[in-house]
Amino acid sequence: MKRFLTVFLVAVLVVSFSLTAVAEGGSVTYNGQSKNFVFAPGSQYSLTDLFPNFKDVMPGDSITQEITVRNTQNVKVKIYMRSLGAQNGSQEFLSQLNLKVQKSQDNLMPYMFDAAADQTADLTNWVCLGTLYSGGEVNLNVILNVPTTLKNDYKDLIGYIDWQFMVEELPTEPGDPQAPQTNDNSLIGLWLALIVGSATLTITTLILKHKRKII
Amino acid sequence: MKKIKASLLIVAICAVVVTFFSQGTLAYYSTVGTATNVVTSGKIKLVIHETTGDDTPFPQEGIYIIPGQIVSKRVNIENACDHPFYLRVKLVNGINSQELSAQDCFNINLNNNAWTLQDDGFIYYNKVLNPGEKTPYVFTEVEIVGEKVNTDYIGKALTLTVNAYAVQQENNPAEHPWLAVGWPTEEVA
Repeated sequence: MKRFLTVFLVAVLVVSFSLTAVAEGGSVTYNGQSKNFVFAPGSQYSLTDLFPNFKDVMPGDSITQEITVRNTQNVKVKIYMRSLGAQNGSQEFLSQLNLKVQKSQDNLMPYMFDAAADQTADLTNWVCLGTLYSGGEVNLNVILNVPTTLKNDYKDLIGYIDWQFMVEELPTEPGDPQAPQTNDNSLIGLWLALIVGSATLTITTLILKHKRKII
Repeated sequence: MKKIKASLLIVAICAVVVTFFSQGTLAYYSTVGTATNVVTSGKIKLVIHETTGDDTPFPQEGIYIIPGQIVSKRVNIENACDHPFYLRVKLVNGINSQELSAQDCFNINLNNNAWTLQDDGFIYYNKVLNPGEKTPYVFTEVEIVGEKVNTDYIGKALTLTVNAYAVQQENNPAEHPWLAVGWPTEEVA
């Protein structure tokens, strides 16, 4: 019985980790209470790195990075972004790469940015991503293309690109929509069942162990 | 007069209050945050292993040889990076003498099951070498060709250098490794 419980709990843990280890996306979250942005996931190179997928890239790679811009607070905001381009020392490497940025809802629309990765191009000035109500989000697709002709001189290099995000808080009005449904309900039942099941089994195991000790 | 002053005071207070609230309406909060995003490029790295018959490293200072001798020298290569690659090697003979040639002084037992000698002089590994993998031996023995290495070679240093070259396999499909593009001109290790 004890062995069965142990195996079951380990299996639950393994399933939990494997389900959460999906493709890593970047996120920009506006925290209205502290009036700041939280950038994730970060990396060993930068705590505010939004490009986890753009590491160790090779000639010929074409990689997409999804970035979600969220407003989690109970405020209405207009959100903007712009690029400051490559940092000093990164220009030469990044000038070899092509970067595209588009709002994923606008797949048929032209790219907001389509240029060498060191440039600021169409993101030189603030570009409005939209008005986000409480719980609202906008998704960006960032595509990095590495040419097959990239020379050996550019191997094992690091390039830094600065992006800025800005919000303007707007007064909420009676007709404003409430926090939208994310439709992320698919696994809620499973998770709740796993949590309740795990807790029950853990408690049962502890009680049995305790009783056995008393005996 | 007092009434006028009181009126003025009320008007002034009202003005201040109105100004305060109108500023509050116009000057929305705005916040700017900077994300420093990072792109890194990968690399290809390989390690050449040279051992003797008992799997000890082949002496860097070399060994004394005699004509006709068969020296146990095992050479294989390891993928020491995170990317699969195609691989080829070139064997270069050398000697510390201008008068003598090292050409044809060595005869190796090439492992034809895993490696293919092409017309360009390179010996190609027949498969893709994945991260962490080692190739089978390129060769395991070197014969010192007796007909070539005569008494003129006494006291000379002969060298057999293994140069390895790798090119990425990702985004570089090829029916055979020797048909892949992008081979480096200089040896990787």
